[in-house]
Amino acid sequence: MKYLIFDSGPLINFAMNGLLNTLVRLKKHFNGEFLITEEIKNEIIDVPSTIKKYELEALQIKKLFDEKIITYPNISEKQFQEFRNLKEEIMNKANTTFYNNNKNIHLIDKGESSVLALYLILKNSSVIVIDERTTRVLCENPKNLKKILEKKLNIEISVREKNLEYFKKFKIIRSSELAYIAYKKGLIDLESEKLLEALLYGLKYRGCSISEEEIEEIKKSS
Amino acid sequence: MKEKSKIVSILEKILESLKKRDYLDIKNLSNQIIEIASIQQDIDLVFLSVIIYSLSKIMERKIFRKSKEGKKFYKNYIIGIKNLIKDINNDEIKNFRKEISLMIKNLESVSKDIKNYIQDVFVKAKINRASKIYEVGISLEKTAKILGISIWELTEYVGQTKIPDVNLSITLPIKERIKIAEEIFS
Repeated sequence: MKYLIFDSGPLINFAMNGLLNTLVRLKKHFNGEFLITEEIKNEIIDVPSTIKKYELEALQIKKLFDEKIITYPNISEKQFQEFRNLKEEIMNKANTTFYNNNKNIHLIDKGESSVLALYLILKNSSVIVIDERTTRVLCENPKNLKKILEKKLNIEISVREKNLEYFKKFKIIRSSELAYIAYKKGLIDLESEKLLEALLYGLKYRGCSISEEEIEEIKKSS
Repeated sequence: MKEKSKIVSILEKILESLKKRDYLDIKNLSNQIIEIASIQQDIDLVFLSVIIYSLSKIMERKIFRKSKEGKKFYKNYIIGIKNLIKDINNDEIKNFRKEISLMIKNLESVSKDIKNYIQDVFVKAKINRASKIYEVGISLEKTAKILGISIWELTEYVGQTKIPDVNLSITLPIKERIKIAEEIFS
């Protein structure tokens, strides 16, 4: 069994771009489960259900959850305990990796750490889908995160190097790569020469952390 | 409050910029507050930055600035900042918080004509300040929590910024990432 583990961003992004049907079609072509954690459900369904501006999108995502297109992981009690411990461990490690003058810089919160923890529980058969930049950079190139912090804050940042190894094991894609797969499989109900470009920019402008340069590369490779 | 001398210095500069009506400079100075707030993740400083940013946006409006109400508003703004400086210098954190609450109340106590505009400015200022914290390198969820806004609002806003286009945001060759996506769907 394979798993795609979703952070809140890509689901919000698909909803705001009117692409939730594409997600349903992708699920049919996927030999596995689309998973969310309770923390993510809270962010994508429970909280926006109380905000008039986002109530409609929240209802649409809730439908996907009710129809089990996106689900909670089916894990044992023992795994659940392990998951809870890992969530704490990840948050603790992430939030003590960078510091200035002995003050730790808190980088991530419960939702993001829950996504990483679930990945560790499900091990090699899964991929994380996350649009926000910090968690991805922390996992894939933490030295860049140090540079970003230093550049923006104009201070010297120290790193607990031993923590960095911990975050190297995660495989990450974004909503943009999911949309690319949907496009390649012909799962999008629109026909246009500009479809891929429109999809990728639509996702970028609603929060997917992808650069114009990367979009141009994806277009070339298609 | 840590970094109190820096904050006092920024607030003093804001007073000077106010006299010169240099609202752009005030916005830049409020960015400096948000940078310090990002490290400390100090809610008081975050809201101080939101207020300073909102007030400068409001004072930018010439018509309002020249109105009777605008003049009163400006006077309260100056008094508020002077009180904040005094509270920080005296380590009066409770009074500092009270002053921030009072400044927010002042924002809300304007006439009906401008009330909606000011509320709108305040909400937008919160989201704008949040995007600055995200830009510094704090995660989206953490940032939304600090400002008490929803991830939905922040996601939409940061999508319009150039944050993802910074070279340091690119962490894996696109071909490799596509390969990960193709493999999981194979």
